[in-house]
Amino acid sequence: MIHFENVSKRFPGGHYGVSNITLEIESGALAFITGHSGAGKSTLLRLIALLERPTRGQLLIDGRNIGRLQENEVAAHRRKIGLIFQDHRLLSDRSVFDNVALPLHVRGFPVREVGKRVRASLDKVGLLKKEKVLPITLSGGEQQRVGIARAIVSRPPILLADEPTGNLDPELSHEIMKLFIAFNQLGITTLIASHDLDLIKKLDRPVINLQQGELT
Amino acid sequence: MRVTPVSRLSIWLDQHWRSAYGSYVEMRRRPLATMMTLLVIGITLALPASLLSLLKISQSMTDDQQQSASISLFLKNGIVNEKALRVAADLELLPQIDHVELLTSADAMDEFRSHSGFGDALDALDDNPLPNVLLIHLLTDNGSMDIKKLASELKQESVTDSIEYDQGWIERMQAITQAIRRAVQALGFGLGLAVMLIIGNTIRLEIMNRREEIEVTRLVGGSDDFIRRPFLYIGLIYGLFGALIAWLLVSILLMLVSGPLGRLAELYDTTISLSTFSLQALLLLIPIGISFGLAGAWLAVSRHLSSIDPE
Ligand SMILES: Nc1ncnc2c1ncn2[C@@H]1O[C@H](COP(=O)(O)OP(=O)(O)OP(=O)(O)O)[C@@H](O)[C@H]1O
Ligand SMILES: [Mg+2]
Repeated sequence: MIHFENVSKRFPGGHYGVSNITLEIESGALAFITGHSGAGKSTLLRLIALLERPTRGQLLIDGRNIGRLQENEVAAHRRKIGLIFQDHRLLSDRSVFDNVALPLHVRGFPVREVGKRVRASLDKVGLLKKEKVLPITLSGGEQQRVGIARAIVSRPPILLADEPTGNLDPELSHEIMKLFIAFNQLGITTLIASHDLDLIKKLDRPVINLQQGELT
Repeated sequence: MRVTPVSRLSIWLDQHWRSAYGSYVEMRRRPLATMMTLLVIGITLALPASLLSLLKISQSMTDDQQQSASISLFLKNGIVNEKALRVAADLELLPQIDHVELLTSADAMDEFRSHSGFGDALDALDDNPLPNVLLIHLLTDNGSMDIKKLASELKQESVTDSIEYDQGWIERMQAITQAIRRAVQALGFGLGLAVMLIIGNTIRLEIMNRREEIEVTRLVGGSDDFIRRPFLYIGLIYGLFGALIAWLLVSILLMLVSGPLGRLAELYDTTISLSTFSLQALLLLIPIGISFGLAGAWLAVSRHLSSIDPE
């Protein structure tokens, strides 16, 4: 489903984010991406979401070379992907409900469907009661779960999480990882960048290790 | 989601409605700033619109005047009524002339007596000092050159004492009106551009304020159309409501001048209906407001949206 073929990302200035990556991620797989800070974990995920474009090689998703997509095709590509960030990227002036509803609005869902799906999604992350509050009134772990609810609400085929448990306590981190595993069991191809080697070891899933932008 | 044409239309309507309503809510969140901007737009649009309305009014008055273009032919003293009637009948045969009225000195005296209030003073006069007058009503489609020529011909007639016609000032008035109209149009165009820039700048600020929202919307797959739409609606709303405020101002102005203008119109024997001009102003202002609003928004959006990128 996601196929890297000698993909490099060279930033202006000559620094490489990732270099010469060849990698196949099967549809429905769940894999962790590990590596030191600056190893290229975020870059790898950002390439898939077209937040960066490869400077060399081919990145095929569902058989399409996404490096070649026109600017006006990028949005449609991103609608196949749910993105989760360490810093949540929630809108501080919108309620939890409105934050989670945004991916449905950009897809043109009718209002009634939006309500149903947003609540189903919030229910899955255990925040059904918080739909009316603003994100700042929530704890870090709760905000992270709102971000996850937003990523899955449109039921995208791909889920990318960049250090979703970055500053959560071990117990909460485990809870969140279990959530990802549950979504993955519904068939969502899931990639999770993480530093948390202990936790990853416990979960016993494929690991993609990066070192200075290259696979090891 | 099954997508039938009907549900596609309803989704489309729903999305647009949501964008428009969202923009309205966004503007309501800063009522003072929004009102100030609307007022500036309204006043800017009201200026050329009210000038144009006043021009139209003065034009309609002179147009009426032209339709009743006439020549007064003052007959020499001592021309008796029968002779005067014969001259009138002869003149009516001329192609430029619609009909000729004889206003005898006695008629003129009566009219003068009843209008001027000098009745007693006039009774003291032995003779009636007023001449017989032929009021020559011209056909409406006459060119103005013909009137001059006709007037000079009539002046040669042996019965003629003097000739008066008021075509001159009408022509001058029309020429002036025309010149002013051009100036107002140019001014209107300039002020329209100003409105466009005001709206463009307002939307630029709006885009900057909502930077985070735009970035996140891009991250979750919002298309350029989707992101652009609320800002275009803001431009449209500013243009529309700015136009309505301008119309209100123009209508107030027309109401203020309606008294003096009504008396003026009476003097010229015409009637002017101010509600017609007010309606005309509305029909002009709304499309202009909306298009300048949209154009300003489009300008701002195409310049500034692309600079906001989560990449
Ligand atoms: N926009 C950019 N311009 C220049 N260099 C960049 C840019 N983004 C990332 N890099 C560089 O690319 C390399 C990989 O960065 P990346 O963010 O992918 O690392 P990471 O593995 O996610 O690290 P961390 O664990 O700290 O998040 C780093 O050396 C970084 O300095
Ligand atoms: Mg990173």
